[in-house]
Amino acid sequence: MVAAVVGIRLRTAWHLARREWWRALVAGLGVLWALTMAPWLVWGQDALARQGGAVRADLLVGAVALITVGWAVLPLVLSGLDDTLDASRFRALGVSARAIMPGLTVAAFLTLPAVFFALALAVLGMSWRSSGAAVLAVALAGLALAYGCLVMGARVSAAWASRVLSSRRAKLATFAALAFGLAVVAPVAFVLFRDGLSAVIETDVDLLLERMAATPLGAGAAAPAYAAAGDWWGAAWRIALQGTWLALLHAVWRVNVAHQLVSPWGRGGGAHRRHDRVLDPARMHVRPRDPATAAVHARLLRAWTGDPRYLASLAGVLLLPATFFVLVMPVFDLDRRWSYLVPLVLAATIGWGRHNDVAFDSTALWLDVVSGRIGQAVMRGRLAATASWSLPLLVAVAVATVAWTGAWVDAPGLLGACVGVLGVSLGVAALSAVLMPYRAPAPGASPFGSEVGAVGAGLLAQLVSSVVLLAIVPFVVVPFVLSLTVAPVWGWVACAMGAALGIGGYAGGVRAAGAVYDRRAGRLLAAVG
Amino acid sequence: MSIEPAPALSLRGLTKRFGQTLAVAGVDLDIPAGSFFGVVGPNGAGKTTTLSMATGLLRPDAGTVAVLGVDLWAAPETAKPLLGVLPDGLHTFDRLTGAELISYAGRLRGLDREVVRERRDDLLAALDLEDAGGTLVMDYSAGMTKKVGLACALVHAPRVLVLDEPFEAVDPVSAGAIRRILQAFVQTGGTVVLSSHVMALVERLCDHVAVVGAGRILDSGTLAEVRGATGDLEGRFVELVGDVRDQRDLTWLRLS
Repeated sequence: MVAAVVGIRLRTAWHLARREWWRALVAGLGVLWALTMAPWLVWGQDALARQGGAVRADLLVGAVALITVGWAVLPLVLSGLDDTLDASRFRALGVSARAIMPGLTVAAFLTLPAVFFALALAVLGMSWRSSGAAVLAVALAGLALAYGCLVMGARVSAAWASRVLSSRRAKLATFAALAFGLAVVAPVAFVLFRDGLSAVIETDVDLLLERMAATPLGAGAAAPAYAAAGDWWGAAWRIALQGTWLALLHAVWRVNVAHQLVSPWGRGGGAHRRHDRVLDPARMHVRPRDPATAAVHARLLRAWTGDPRYLASLAGVLLLPATFFVLVMPVFDLDRRWSYLVPLVLAATIGWGRHNDVAFDSTALWLDVVSGRIGQAVMRGRLAATASWSLPLLVAVAVATVAWTGAWVDAPGLLGACVGVLGVSLGVAALSAVLMPYRAPAPGASPFGSEVGAVGAGLLAQLVSSVVLLAIVPFVVVPFVLSLTVAPVWGWVACAMGAALGIGGYAGGVRAAGAVYDRRAGRLLAAVG
Repeated sequence: MSIEPAPALSLRGLTKRFGQTLAVAGVDLDIPAGSFFGVVGPNGAGKTTTLSMATGLLRPDAGTVAVLGVDLWAAPETAKPLLGVLPDGLHTFDRLTGAELISYAGRLRGLDREVVRERRDDLLAALDLEDAGGTLVMDYSAGMTKKVGLACALVHAPRVLVLDEPFEAVDPVSAGAIRRILQAFVQTGGTVVLSSHVMALVERLCDHVAVVGAGRILDSGTLAEVRGATGDLEGRFVELVGDVRDQRDLTWLRLS
């Protein structure tokens, strides 16, 4: 059964690569990148080997903990996880979780990133060779278990996040997760802001690494240091802890696989709605008059409040600005005015995040396409739905940021710049969504699923929309920067120019995207289906 | 001298290629206005691809489509309102309720709010979806999804209905209701084009038929013309497209 399941995984990858050449190209580029990293890994191993045991263990614990968190979080906010072997695909075959789990487990380790990290950790683990064969064996065993935990952790986090998001309490769960994330990082930010980076490194990082070495995040990587110091009991229980955690993660994943085999994804749980929100929308500040625009707007608002794929991207856009505020600012001890980047980056990420917006409709797009030449209305409705929540959010964040700095004189410029960046980035994204759409998770599918090689699937679209944004956004922000560096009066220029550019970018984007939509209507369906 | 009315759908040299596969190879077909037209063909014959190109869902590599004399790909703003479409195997906006999906289709067509409300309620009642109107489409069965899709195709009162497998997964009672709606539509001058694998259904409903095979029209005309001397559509179909080549004996099915 293992061979059969792994065979499906490899054969699917092979067929996809043969059918669409760019997948092979992306995989080839990935392998090339991994090969260029090889000398660095050997250099890293050498550098580690020259450190004392305690420092070496600390560095490895920090690295493994960081990688583990990255593996659990990145698929949720960026790439998704390869879903060739999504358990729900086995539903019709009548196999049990027990029968397919070994195959799924082996296949989870056969992705390019998994193979790369296996080799990388093995190379770095060899830095313990100077401490003797027994310690080296402990190091390799500990890192192997930690490696298993990071691969399993990614599966568990993607599977359970999808399950929570597809439940009826999806909205509540999203905001609960955001609140939890904030609760976790807020104390860290508080301490960093209060004490500064150097003080934290002197006092807290040592303590943090020591604590992590006693948790599943770092126990496996820390074990050889204890073995090298002769504390074999300390090494043994850390290896045991890491092993138990691996078994636990595997069991939790298995529970989810068993659930998927008998429960279809994305059902509405029998929800019943009395009001027809397409005909009688809830009272909103944005209410398009044109019937087609109003219909698309109402549909997208429903998606933003209930579709797991949209909720996932909603949570994802907050990651970059939150990281900047909570980690980058205190770590580099930046002036408070740097916090103005938070609403500006938020505006750009909200806009940029919509660069594949149309593909989220998947083949349901047919209803829009057969309804006439309504590209303008479709794009106007889509963007209005995003603007109707993102504009108030941005204004709130911008005002909160100014309140935090206390420099109210900067408020008009910041507000103008935010509106400008949001409008321009939404305009660019709208154009990208119709010019370069790529396959997104289908409705009802896991929002964190992706096809083999899909990390590169939208590479071109992502790259082009990023480059275009990076080229345009500075122009929008220049007057605001001048208001901070030259004279406050530039703030009013920034306000007026931001509003003008924002509205212009937004309207221009809608108009151009609508025209392209109509011209490409007969190809869009094939591109996203 | 009487002037021939423009065909409901006129396909000329319609061609579509996917990579190495020639899915539709220069289809020429006229579908008379006011007819109940059946398109039949084996799996993978190119029916869905042809109908997709005929309804504006897929741009042809070559060829033209005219809806009641209006070029679909040159003047979609005039041609598309004449068409009502029910595709097969595509997603719907399933986070809307059934009622909202019909309203959505109506509003996309530019209909007034109150007109949509009235037609939505009529269609939900006629298709026996009244109780399910407030339920999300994602919770619908396959048959219910088909019915709500048909309601979306009808809400703007088109002149030509193009339906891909409209009876698939629909229960007999609902199928009866759909048949009555479609027959009334044709009696009042509308045109229905449907694709199906069920020959008995096509013989019962349609007055014109086209048989599609390997991306080409193998035969078309009135039902009597296509049946020919055999008098049996299924026999004629097998004669045109050929029977299963390898009729292997699967006795092991009964032994296991």
